[in-house]
Amino acid sequence: MIFSYNWLQSYFKKKLPKPEKLAEILTMRSFEIEEVKKTGKDWRLDIDILPNRAPDCFSHIGIAREISAITGLNYQDSSLILGENISRPNGKTKDFVSIEIKDKIACSRYTARVITDVKVGESPKYIKERLKVCGLQLINNVVDAANYVMLETGQPMHAFDLDKISGKKIIVRKAKKGEKIITLDNNKYDLAQDILIIADEKSPLAIAGIKGGKNAEIDNKTKTIVLEAANFEAKTIRKARQKLKLQTDASLRFEHCLDINLTEQAINRAACLIQEIAGGKITQGLVDFYVKKVLPKTIKLDVAYVEQLLGVKISKKEVIKILKSLGLNPAKSGIKLKILNIEIPTFRLDLSIQEDLIEEIGRIYGYERIKPVFPLAVLIPPKRNIDCFWQKKVKNILKETGFTEVYNYSFVNEKDISVYQSNKHKTAVIELENPLSAEQRYLRPCLISNLLKNIQKNQKLFNEIKIFELGKVFRSGIKTGVEEKRMLTGILTGDDMFYQTKGIIDSLLNKLGISNVLYNNCKELIHCSQKCAEIKINGKGIGILGEISAEILAQLDIEKKVCVFAIDFEKLQKHCSEEIMYQPISLYPSAVRDLAVLVPREIKVVDVLNKINIAGKKLVRDVALFDIYEGEEIQEGKKNFAFHIIYQAENRTLTSKEIDIIQDKIIKTLEKDPEWEVRK
Amino acid sequence: MIKIHMELKKLEITARKDIKSAKNLKDLDDIFKKYLGKKGELTLILRSLKNLPIKERKTQGKIANQIKKDLELIIQEQKHKLQASSFKIQDTGFDITVPGKKQDLGHLHPLTLVRRKVEEIFQSMGFSVVEGPEVESEWYNFDALNIPKEHPARDLWDTFYLKQKKLLLRTHTSPVQIRYMEKNQPPLRIIVPGRVFRHEATDAGHEVNFYHIEGLMIDKKGKVSVANFKAIIGEFFKRFFEKEIKIRLRPSYFPFTEPSFEIDINCVNCLGKGCSVCAQTGWVETLGAGMVHPNVLKAVGLNPKFWQGFAFGVGMDRLAIMKYKIQDIRLFYGGDLRFLQQF
Ligand SMILES: [Zn+2]
Repeated sequence: MIFSYNWLQSYFKKKLPKPEKLAEILTMRSFEIEEVKKTGKDWRLDIDILPNRAPDCFSHIGIAREISAITGLNYQDSSLILGENISRPNGKTKDFVSIEIKDKIACSRYTARVITDVKVGESPKYIKERLKVCGLQLINNVVDAANYVMLETGQPMHAFDLDKISGKKIIVRKAKKGEKIITLDNNKYDLAQDILIIADEKSPLAIAGIKGGKNAEIDNKTKTIVLEAANFEAKTIRKARQKLKLQTDASLRFEHCLDINLTEQAINRAACLIQEIAGGKITQGLVDFYVKKVLPKTIKLDVAYVEQLLGVKISKKEVIKILKSLGLNPAKSGIKLKILNIEIPTFRLDLSIQEDLIEEIGRIYGYERIKPVFPLAVLIPPKRNIDCFWQKKVKNILKETGFTEVYNYSFVNEKDISVYQSNKHKTAVIELENPLSAEQRYLRPCLISNLLKNIQKNQKLFNEIKIFELGKVFRSGIKTGVEEKRMLTGILTGDDMFYQTKGIIDSLLNKLGISNVLYNNCKELIHCSQKCAEIKINGKGIGILGEISAEILAQLDIEKKVCVFAIDFEKLQKHCSEEIMYQPISLYPSAVRDLAVLVPREIKVVDVLNKINIAGKKLVRDVALFDIYEGEEIQEGKKNFAFHIIYQAENRTLTSKEIDIIQDKIIKTLEKDPEWEVRK
Repeated sequence: MIKIHMELKKLEITARKDIKSAKNLKDLDDIFKKYLGKKGELTLILRSLKNLPIKERKTQGKIANQIKKDLELIIQEQKHKLQASSFKIQDTGFDITVPGKKQDLGHLHPLTLVRRKVEEIFQSMGFSVVEGPEVESEWYNFDALNIPKEHPARDLWDTFYLKQKKLLLRTHTSPVQIRYMEKNQPPLRIIVPGRVFRHEATDAGHEVNFYHIEGLMIDKKGKVSVANFKAIIGEFFKRFFEKEIKIRLRPSYFPFTEPSFEIDINCVNCLGKGCSVCAQTGWVETLGAGMVHPNVLKAVGLNPKFWQGFAFGVGMDRLAIMKYKIQDIRLFYGGDLRFLQQF
């Protein structure tokens, strides 16, 4: 909010600190100053008033009060004028206008004054200058005065031309169905039924607390005016403002609540100001609807608690001095006790508990004066977060395997969903009520779609891409509404990456202490049907791996072949183990023999391995596949596997004769099937 | 007898000379053959010893064998010398300026690196790491944190709502405070890293999703104060940036803390002198904090008469931006490998 430095200065006899200096002081003690800008002979201060301080600080008086508390300079609240003293009564106000409040919750106070014989014209120079610095439009002396008093006291005001008010009666009520209003800026608004309005007997005159209407506008011919200073309920104004999409200086203030006792002070100040600059006579008395009078409250402050909370010793004397500087006065009776009764003026709507007072004490005292002290706490070692531990471990393993970690948005668009989801799954996708754009309309049900976009983006710049993400995905669940789980998903580019990907999964699971891994055939929509597998641990599925189908790649303009793995991290984690069992290293040498076998194409490696292991028993320590060949030189419909077989015994050196015998046994076993042929 | 002795001595001297003067491996091999080969001079002498009387044979044999060993040793030494020098000669074309063969190492995301560092520092000060859900209820995200419905304070958090069941995407990781305190008795010290969401237009400084770290310390009344918070947070910044960092507390407002403050740190870029990063102020706003509001303690069933504490929230993206001098927050979520592979 914009404030005028010269205006603030006008409340002080002594010189204020220079604008930049003042900004610094306010920033450290009250509110951050966004900007200090010289405009003419004045300076604009853009002050970021904290929302809880709006009721008392959306005003120059409020800021002057803060400055006074911080600097110790005295200020004079020139808005405190008793209207009656200066007015030249010209009949009683209540004879000029009557008010009726139909909604006493939405409007808890309505104060009106009448001024007759005004001369509408231009405002004096100082008012024009100050309003301009604060960014307000100049209208005429009457309206400018109302605005001026709002910026001064924080109380929004409105002026009506009394002669244009039908029946000389002001009614505060909710709008009726179909009612419309044309506002002062010539915009037309349809008024919904829960919008509070100011009306006369015939039609709406203003949208309460937001903007005035054309009907009772002040113009050059206006002679008699009605001034309004009211207190409207924040919730009502907030809703209306949102509905009408119309935020004004007035609505901003009402939305943050206002001191109900401010209306009287502000209306008197405005009446006097108008009389001063536009002439006219103030009628006698207020017309004031004010049912439930609000009185200052008292907060008990335990002086010892100030030190306990702030961690610095501040004497009781200083505590009292600080509070008094803010207009918060301790009751005289109990001043010697440890607990002070502090009277809170009604304009400090933000203060309700003693912690609020301790904040006031702390900030005026100065947070920089509080010396850092390490807490004396019981030594409790932090708990180990096993979830985080495995996340960290998995990320490290993939990094060691050459993967780059990416973080993608948690959102996807309609197309992403239709590409990756079958109709059955589509209903389970979570949609946002208020997406920022169509691009981000849904919560991601998997990580694959955004990872593929990463590939698309990087494919021209990198030959081989290996990326992964560990992040949350979302689906609607039956019990909880939304089911949220962590997925580990990786993508590799390149031809025939299936086996490499499978190898990576094997190493990953191995490093996580998981054995008993099995790969089953599976048909996921996004994969080529053949090159896709389900990953199972102890017989339970934890994820999939496979190649992305050519159609999907084409849709996404991806030129490279892509292999993906997607693992349910929550499931994976249950199988992870930190235990490592050391296997004794045999003291006796091992021997390697090679073996090549020609088999029908549909035979799987695992079938051959099983036979070798069964025939070789314990003496076969390891069998490693080193080549698969099919094509020329080989019978059609067949393929050739080549293995290294490693023989070793735990208790002796195997003789080559012994090995020959086992190898023969293996060969015989393999050749039992007439279609299989061991190549010699 | 003396003759043999003399012969041996002479042989040793010439052999040593020959070996030392060998220019290449071929020469050396010839020398070996000449003295130690099957028909080598020394071999012949050794063989002739068997004709001597036993006592003589022993003494002379000992000497001759020693010479044999010595010669073998210096031949070996000479061989190594010649081999080494032959390498040198061959390697004149070796070019150390040829680029090294690139190894494909992986990369962790900068936010992962920052998170690890933050966790490590706080864990060393006794804080446990806790996580929570990204989809939250209004109760945990707002009400329990003393942010009532229809209160303008809710506007401070631009929120994504789901179409389902009044759920939302958490706007901070503070709900985990509540979840944790519901299940764990104080005294407690936790930090909560995690992804959060804000419904606002993106630019270099704003993203729709980003990362927060929330901190919470609750202890008996009088045991944990603003002064303690200053010490903990000061230590954190010092260790995070690995240098002395000045901090300052400014008054602020959060519904869930009272008093509340904003923490500025000395601009890491200009060290407080003023630059474009800090808008010439020398300070950068990094963290919101305060003493836990009694209403929050009440919401989890703790009596504010007996317990108090501090809480803080810091944007991890912002820490990363300062640490690595990154200009645009959007780089974190853009998946550009040219960016990610720098970490
Ligand atoms: Zn700087």
